[in-house]
Amino acid sequence: MSWLERLLRSKVFVVSLIVLPGLWPAWPILRGDLTVLADPGKYLLHHFGFVACILLATVLSFSPLRVLWPRWAVAQALNRHRRLVGVSAFVYAAIHLGFQFLHENGWPTFWKDIRKPFLLVGMLTFLILLVLAVTSLKVAIRWLGGRRWKNLHRLAYLAAALAAYHQAAARKLFPVQVVWIFGPLLALEIARLARQRWSAAKPAPRAGA
Amino acid sequence: MRIHVPKEWELPESSVTPESAYAARDRRSFLKTAGLGLGGAVLLGRRASAATTGLPPVDNPDFLAGALKVTPYDLATSYNNFYEFGTDKSDPKEYANDGWEPEPGWSVEIGGLVANPGKWDVEDLVKKMGGVEQRVYRHRCVEAWSMVIPWDGFPLARLVAFAQPRRESRFLKFTSFLDPKHATGQQQGNLDYPYIEGLVLPEALNSLAFIATGIYGKPLPNQNGAPLRLVTPWKYGFKGIKSIVKIEFTPDMPVNTWRKMAGDEYGFFANVNPNVDHPRWSQASEKVIGGGGFFGLRQPTLIFNGYEKQVASLYQGMDLRKFY
Repeated sequence: MSWLERLLRSKVFVVSLIVLPGLWPAWPILRGDLTVLADPGKYLLHHFGFVACILLATVLSFSPLRVLWPRWAVAQALNRHRRLVGVSAFVYAAIHLGFQFLHENGWPTFWKDIRKPFLLVGMLTFLILLVLAVTSLKVAIRWLGGRRWKNLHRLAYLAAALAAYHQAAARKLFPVQVVWIFGPLLALEIARLARQRWSAAKPAPRAGA
Repeated sequence: MRIHVPKEWELPESSVTPESAYAARDRRSFLKTAGLGLGGAVLLGRRASAATTGLPPVDNPDFLAGALKVTPYDLATSYNNFYEFGTDKSDPKEYANDGWEPEPGWSVEIGGLVANPGKWDVEDLVKKMGGVEQRVYRHRCVEAWSMVIPWDGFPLARLVAFAQPRRESRFLKFTSFLDPKHATGQQQGNLDYPYIEGLVLPEALNSLAFIATGIYGKPLPNQNGAPLRLVTPWKYGFKGIKSIVKIEFTPDMPVNTWRKMAGDEYGFFANVNPNVDHPRWSQASEKVIGGGGFFGLRQPTLIFNGYEKQVASLYQGMDLRKFY
């Protein structure tokens, strides 16, 4: 077992990796970064949305990694944490939504703005993540049955597409970060589809067979 | 190394009001603490330091702060949109002060349909405009945030009179600098550069239209558009083109940069209007930068940013939804 694999299998390590970005804003705020202090609420809003996008793109890349490199220990290690990372994406999105509510200073503006397509799409993304988080409980899996659960959780891909649009539309100009957050995921998914199509046509020999 | 060459009209640092006293904005208590009594009145006029052509900058009594709460200087110079230096709010302060030196030697060209075309050194031009005054204006960004800024400069109408526009001239076209070597955003090509803005001639003649050469009684920092920029407080901030190198008088409406970039989102007029939303967000209210607290203050946006009395007549009979 390589050190990297051991590290990635560790729940403590992964949880730390997930929690740290949430603590990050303390740094510029305590340091007195004026650009952040000009509107700390908006900074927090953007930061938590940004982390939610990264986590969502990250968790969705786990399974294509395993399909593409089934015997790669790192991919196997990462796939142990799918639920953890997925639920974290939801938690960050929920905090992001909460900050949006505070940024809008309450219901009247929040309600007015939510009708804008870009915010509506953000809300829809959040609702999908909410459903997926709730049904990530073992009880829900049993209740839904494996196949239905799996189909439902394919909505995560829709959520990723919506999140990418939401993030891109939040700025006046197209923000390049959308490309480096969601670009690799897109590449992996295309590679996975190509791989699955190829192996469906010509079944690959099983390992050891 | 940066060597600061004081301009002949610049006052020594020692005569600049301490920021704390300025921020207090309470004349009387400021004078009292300064212990100046009557003599203070003289000093008061000299409070602002730079870009003043040797004449003391005078507070324009029509545009005092009054009930407006002036944004702290540090925030107004740290939270900027100046895409020439990057799209993050922190970029302009960092990258506009990293090798780009607008002064000395900046010249402004006035051309097009005018009787008095020419190219002027910015200092000479400011002198020709006959001194600098200070006006406190509301500033509303199209991104739904606002500040209150004391600008030092001169009315744009004075420059128009100086240029002597011909009868066929109907618009002003402003062009900003082009220096991709020093302007990181221009290197990336995040917008179509040089940045262009425009006004209808009657807008330029409106008493609110202003060319700023300083803020808070100090020379305009690079990130705020040194050495001179346009200020049209009833319009969204992006109309306030920074670091101007050319002003042309034209018969046709210039295509301003943001309109060219996304004409469905940014128009030519860009008047502040709470009833006409940006397609992606509401313009009904605005976040007050430095408004206090973590989630700060949100206030309703006013039509023409509160300058309805001064400018509404310019747009009489115009469909403001169509001409956003």
